[in-house]
Amino acid sequence: MDDDLPTDFQVIVVGTGLVESIVAAACSRIRKNVLHLDSRDHYGGLWASHNFEGLQKFIKEITTDPSRQLQVYNLIEKWYIPKESQEVKQEGEDGKTEDGKEAKKVWSQADFASEYRKFNIDMTPKLLFARGPLVELLISSNIARYAEFRCVTRVLTWMSDKLMPVPCSRADVFATEAVSIVEKRMLMKMLTSIVGYNEEEMDNEFKDWTDKTFQEYLTHKGLTPNLIHYVLYAIAGGTNAMPCLEGVRECKKFLMSLGRYGNTPFLWPMYGSGELPQCFCRLCAVFGGVYCLNRPIDTVENKTVDDKKVVVIESKSKTLTCDHLVLGINEGPKDLLSQEHSDSSDISRAVFITNGTIMSSEKEPLTLLRFPPLNEDNNATTVLEVGPATGSCPKGLFVVYFITNKVVDAETDLMPYAQKIFDMSGGEQTEASDKPKCLWSLFYNVKDTSATVRDGVEGVHVCAGPDAGLDFDRAVHQAEEIFKKICPGEEFLPRAPDPEEIVFEDDVTHGPEFQGEQEDADGDKE
Amino acid sequence: MHGRIKVRTTEEEKARKEKERQEKLKVFKHAMQKILYKRKQGEQDDEQLEITGKVLSSNPDIYTLWNIRREILILFSKTKNEEEMSKIYDTELNLTEYCLKINPKSYCSWHQREWVLTSRPNPDWKKELELCNTYLKYDERNFHTWDYRRFVVSQFKPPLQEEFDFTTEKLYDNFSNYSAWHYRSKMLVELYPDVKGGRPIQDNHHKHELKMVQSAAFTDPDDTSAWFYQRWLLGAVKVTIQLVSYTVTPLKTTLAWSRKVSNNYINSNVNIYFNNQLVEGKWIPCTGLEYDDLWIFEHNQEVSDNMDIKVEHGVGDEKQIINSEKYQPCTYVGKNKIFFKNQYSQPVIEELNEQLDSCRQLLALEPDNKWTLLTTTFFLYCIDANLYHKEIMVNLETLKDLDSQRAGYYSDLISKWSIEQQLPQDYNSNSLEYKISFSQKITSLPHLNYYSYCQVVDLSNQALTSRILPTLTKLQHCKVLNLSSNKINTLDGFPDIDLEELHLEDNIELDKMEVEVFKHKHKFMKIYF
Repeated sequence: MDDDLPTDFQVIVVGTGLVESIVAAACSRIRKNVLHLDSRDHYGGLWASHNFEGLQKFIKEITTDPSRQLQVYNLIEKWYIPKESQEVKQEGEDGKTEDGKEAKKVWSQADFASEYRKFNIDMTPKLLFARGPLVELLISSNIARYAEFRCVTRVLTWMSDKLMPVPCSRADVFATEAVSIVEKRMLMKMLTSIVGYNEEEMDNEFKDWTDKTFQEYLTHKGLTPNLIHYVLYAIAGGTNAMPCLEGVRECKKFLMSLGRYGNTPFLWPMYGSGELPQCFCRLCAVFGGVYCLNRPIDTVENKTVDDKKVVVIESKSKTLTCDHLVLGINEGPKDLLSQEHSDSSDISRAVFITNGTIMSSEKEPLTLLRFPPLNEDNNATTVLEVGPATGSCPKGLFVVYFITNKVVDAETDLMPYAQKIFDMSGGEQTEASDKPKCLWSLFYNVKDTSATVRDGVEGVHVCAGPDAGLDFDRAVHQAEEIFKKICPGEEFLPRAPDPEEIVFEDDVTHGPEFQGEQEDADGDKE
Repeated sequence: MHGRIKVRTTEEEKARKEKERQEKLKVFKHAMQKILYKRKQGEQDDEQLEITGKVLSSNPDIYTLWNIRREILILFSKTKNEEEMSKIYDTELNLTEYCLKINPKSYCSWHQREWVLTSRPNPDWKKELELCNTYLKYDERNFHTWDYRRFVVSQFKPPLQEEFDFTTEKLYDNFSNYSAWHYRSKMLVELYPDVKGGRPIQDNHHKHELKMVQSAAFTDPDDTSAWFYQRWLLGAVKVTIQLVSYTVTPLKTTLAWSRKVSNNYINSNVNIYFNNQLVEGKWIPCTGLEYDDLWIFEHNQEVSDNMDIKVEHGVGDEKQIINSEKYQPCTYVGKNKIFFKNQYSQPVIEELNEQLDSCRQLLALEPDNKWTLLTTTFFLYCIDANLYHKEIMVNLETLKDLDSQRAGYYSDLISKWSIEQQLPQDYNSNSLEYKISFSQKITSLPHLNYYSYCQVVDLSNQALTSRILPTLTKLQHCKVLNLSSNKINTLDGFPDIDLEELHLEDNIELDKMEVEVFKHKHKFMKIYF
């Protein structure tokens, strides 16, 4: 098969992370000749979603050969349930408890292994803002037809030592009993005024606030502590130190996305965020991009062929040439890139699998929970809880992701938050408890790095890995920047036609007259 | 080039669409011609059903075709058996459902559906209610669907509680929904009437609704639907009909009512006694309308001096006797105790006071908010108009500036509520004169029926325009009417009342010629201009 692979391309993309995949699709869409490689056997790199077996493979790789995956470190996996199920007392009863409810299933590690395919666990869980750049791009490029989404059903926060729903939409504010009538008015007034500001008005309104915090601004506006908590921590996702203007912009972004798809501003991709790079890859392939997984590259250098500078790549003792090389940060030969790494921007991540939602609700919830920092050194922590309806896990389980900026290490940073909302004791799964039981956990740190190419190599564009942000905005932005460098002046992902819009050559010659009538008759029968 | 994707350009696409449109038009014209021809020929058959059905599928709003279909269906129902008809009705329902998918606001499709369901035996109402649910999920504000829902519910009679809860659900989705609030108000008085207390709504529910609507109003004060529901709730109080006053002179006998009543009502609930003799007579509404708040009593009894005149009014056993006093020789006036206070129950008053507190807090934060100020003012009026009168007047003046587009409305409120303050005092005196005793200039003449007994009415130096002229018909006993220094610009609409003197001086926009003509017509009236 390797012999069939052509060797000359206009663009070669290495790595199938989101940024790389968007660039590949954009180039292919405007008829660039694209080759897309990945050193691994799956799409997405660090943006991937894994089933439980794939995830175990990933964990094993990191623990046995850390050099293969330099971005990830401090990885700790823990089980809170037995290896095999103790099926003694459960059998015989008809699976129901006395009050008629279905009994809670008792899970074992073996159950996870046998149902491994029902898991889709994200390495980079993120949400899409309903009016954010990724949603707009998916729509304008018509790539949205390859993807499916679910609306986030609620936004929660941690307040007065308990979970509280955040009234963020008009309907929420109306329905909530957590704030007084006067607070309702104040909150709505603050929110509508923020939405209303255009850039100029914003400069005007906030000219005296450039060196002050958002919290100071909200206090100045007379909001009660209650409301400040909602706006600052939950809607803006900030901390006490958040600068005023940043807070206003974050709020505006949140509010502008309300009312498009659901009751919250967010969408979650079905089967995990790992689906998104694949959607772009599919478009790339539809327009002629060539794909090859399991294909690492060894060297990269510039050569001049026929008076033209090209990038020459050695991969599995094959020489490939291209005008532009797009490189995922994890995919390049180590000597090519000089990473600009500062420890402060690393990400602490955790994944938990639990036997219930953190706060019960009528229908299966899809939750964004924003924790304010629990102590002064900490950063704000984002929690996403997804259930079986998203295709993330088997029925009866929830997958919960924790994300924060690293302070010490993933476990130290995130464990205090997890303990607030989970029962981490590993005790009886059936025992009644107000918190869901944690069945399995995974902590790890990820580097958030950008890199520059070694001096003297041209035509190579490096894509950063996933960031700690809630949305995909940085990735979309970076992809567009790289595309503009490769194809200056070209349109970025123009709308791909639907099948019915495509004209086939033989479409022009009509069939004999009777065929038309035949069609009509068929139509009538319907 | 092989494998290259060719997409139609916008021009090509446009041309293709236009061609399609022309084709459609041709088919449509052809079908319509055929339908009308067949109708002329009296061909009411399956083919006609088929063609009209096809045309309606793409143009659901051609009501002629629905009418044709109904004709055919009625004809079929006379000849076909039940089973056949059942199938035909099912097809008809499917067709309307298909049409409603195309246009969920198609009047005639909804109407056709209603017709089918009332025509056919054993209609499946449950399915219809589910259909309403589906359509209200697509568009929770489609008033056609709400209307249809009311029809279905009137037939199906599901538990009203479920319907009430349904409005709750819809309002929590989106409270900018007049239809849902309206439907809720209907359910509320059906489900929770306070039969014992004679109030339209039970206390606890009245309170709950007030709370709910305030929450909506403060979430989005610019949404008017909540305010309308609130206003309705504030007005949902016990209603009593009161005979407020009556006047008996040798010329005329009149009875003034706190609200408009019918001839029937008076006939069965009023007795008039002259010297303890029941007087028979005929009732004429002052405005000529079926319901009126001032009725003229025509009788043949002579009215002389020093008579004992009284009127008995009441429904059932609750009779009230109102005695009269002689104000002048042969002029008797009977006055009742009057009040304008809404009769809320104590728990509701407490709730209103609580809400007033919230409003006041908000007002401290945003003193210029029109809705907050207006609501505060309404609460003050509803809780104790007497006690808060000064504050109410100040608020209304502020509102005139804040909301200048509705300044006239606020002026009218000032007039009305000030007159309500003055009236009880006037009812305690023995004067036959009406004179505005407060400083604000009135712009309208509410409650004029209460002053029907007056002989001298001084409305000078006010801000009245010609639009009040028809109201003056309530001044049935007036002899001297002073309208000088107002804003009267025409006498058009001046009622037929027997004045001795009419003052029209200083109405600068009033045309001299017009007054001359008026004088000519009213020769027995002294007119000053």
